[in-house]
Amino acid sequence: MEIKDQLQQSYIEHILHHGEQPKTVFLFARDNGITEEEFYGYFGSFESIDIRIWKGLMTDAISEVRSQEVWTEYSSREKALSLFYGFMELLKSKRSFITFSLRNAKAKIGLSNLFEGMKQEFELFSADVIQEGLESGELTDRPFFAAKYKDALWIQLGFVINFWLKDTSAGFDKTDEAIEKGVNVTYNLFERSPIDELFEYGKFLAKNAGIKMPF
Amino acid sequence: MIRKNDDEQKSIPTSKVERSTQFVKTGFKIGGNYVKHYSKKLFNSNISRDELNEDNAADIYSSLSKLKGSALKVAQMLSMDKNILPKAYVNQFSQSQYNAPPLSGPLIVQTFRKLHGKTPEKIFDKFDLRSSNAASIGQVHQAELDGKKLAVKIQYPGVGDSISSDLKLVKPFAFRLIGMSEKELDVYMKEVEERLLEETDYELEVRRSVEISKACAHLENIVFPTYYPELSSKRTITMDWIEGLHLKEYLETNPSQEERNVIGQALWDFYNFQQHELRAVHADPHPGNFIITHDGKLGIIDFGCIKELPDDFYYPFFSLTSEGFFNDKPKTLQAFRELEMIHEKDSPAEVEFYYDMYRQMIGLFAKPYSSDRFDFSGTEFFEHIYNYGEMIAKMPEFKQARGVKHFIYINRTNFGLYNILHELKATVRTDTYVPQVNLEI
Repeated sequence: MEIKDQLQQSYIEHILHHGEQPKTVFLFARDNGITEEEFYGYFGSFESIDIRIWKGLMTDAISEVRSQEVWTEYSSREKALSLFYGFMELLKSKRSFITFSLRNAKAKIGLSNLFEGMKQEFELFSADVIQEGLESGELTDRPFFAAKYKDALWIQLGFVINFWLKDTSAGFDKTDEAIEKGVNVTYNLFERSPIDELFEYGKFLAKNAGIKMPF
Repeated sequence: MIRKNDDEQKSIPTSKVERSTQFVKTGFKIGGNYVKHYSKKLFNSNISRDELNEDNAADIYSSLSKLKGSALKVAQMLSMDKNILPKAYVNQFSQSQYNAPPLSGPLIVQTFRKLHGKTPEKIFDKFDLRSSNAASIGQVHQAELDGKKLAVKIQYPGVGDSISSDLKLVKPFAFRLIGMSEKELDVYMKEVEERLLEETDYELEVRRSVEISKACAHLENIVFPTYYPELSSKRTITMDWIEGLHLKEYLETNPSQEERNVIGQALWDFYNFQQHELRAVHADPHPGNFIITHDGKLGIIDFGCIKELPDDFYYPFFSLTSEGFFNDKPKTLQAFRELEMIHEKDSPAEVEFYYDMYRQMIGLFAKPYSSDRFDFSGTEFFEHIYNYGEMIAKMPEFKQARGVKHFIYINRTNFGLYNILHELKATVRTDTYVPQVNLEI
């Protein structure tokens, strides 16, 4: 194992066993047989370990779902669903650490900083999957809005994580339901809808019926 | 624990609100249908209420099918009671036995990972992620293992949780349809709730399926799939895939009278063997639960709903069906009292009234038993049942429900069976498995 990974692992274990971050970087470095200076060579702070962990969870989830045999048969919608399930499954296995990490980050660096690395990975993935959907015609390409689809998925992910934190159902079955319903709703918005028809009808009338639009 | 309850209470109402809005919407629509009906009637007084009923049924159905799960189940149950609901409702509700929106592929993969620790593609040689059938509280997928074709039933997540809250919503609504007040029906709804909750327990279903198919193995022209407990869990069931046609499709192939009789006889034997020998019966005789195989046998593919017949119901009830029993009025009254069809506080006039009405009902019910052969193809018998149901529905005396709770499922089972036999236009020998009450009285 790389030293970086080793430090990360030892950091997680410290939190699991003590319910708090190591007291100082100095103590943590000493316990791991390196100097404080060497530690900074790997990480700028404890929080940057957290950031790397979250990013790692996302990349693991993405490569896990991509390796499933059915992956190529999935539609864009199913690929997104699949990642949501895969990612939440990984979080479940680390629930204690995750809840600590979120609480800690809220107080110190803010969630948007914590999720920085993870968001990058997620956006690359969703941009990919959405592009696929646009090309196959599964999703509607709307000027300006299509570029925002990935943000909608990101918000959905935030919602699901939040839901899961409060979920007390056995096996987190309710979280599965939340994913199924939530992602489907989001995707339904990406698909062609009566609003599109209405918009086009308006455009048509504006051009051809001599009606002045109020804007 | 306290926190947990707290959270549950917070989370349930949201879905409840969502579900109630469904019903409210339906309410508006039905209101609209009545407006439509009466405005049409202004111009044409000949329009029958059938059209109105049909409009209503379509709207009710479409809102129920959105609810899925237990509400769908209730739709199915209502659809069985042809003798209670007007025909238009029945046609719409029958659809619910076949269609329900499917679960996404990834959710199925997720369910398997959770319950079996592996993805379906790792458990089976082949697994079709597109479902081939809806199974009311779940859906069925085709799979293959070691060259064997399998059917894998997967339950929708959260069905068990939502049953109780669903039923509370369906209750006033469903019984407005039938025209009874909801309060007196609590005992019955409890019974329904119990059965529905049992149905969500797939482990129980596998155990029962194995037991009953073993006990019924000797019956002629019936096939049961083999069940695989090691490939099943609390929300999945794996069994053999039975090739064949559903009842409706089968009837479209114009089978001969002899072929239809064979299927009808198999059905009759299956139900009556269970009722009278096992005293526990497959209480869900809707057409979706049967497959007619290509060699003309009856395949039985769903054991979700089993109703047990306790002795204190079985003996008084089935003794009523035995020949000449009605000639003995005191004994008949005694049986009616045991079954709570006649109450302690009824006045003598009421006793006479109910005595008469229930004699008619049981008489209809027992008609197939009265000879050793019965032709279910005639419409006359069914018109009788239907008219009797309509008449009862209009009588204020029957606004208040009567009879022990076991009637719901036993009536549903037997009248359901009669209906299927009628659709098959089959003639069956009814003396194969008869009520065993002679010694007891």
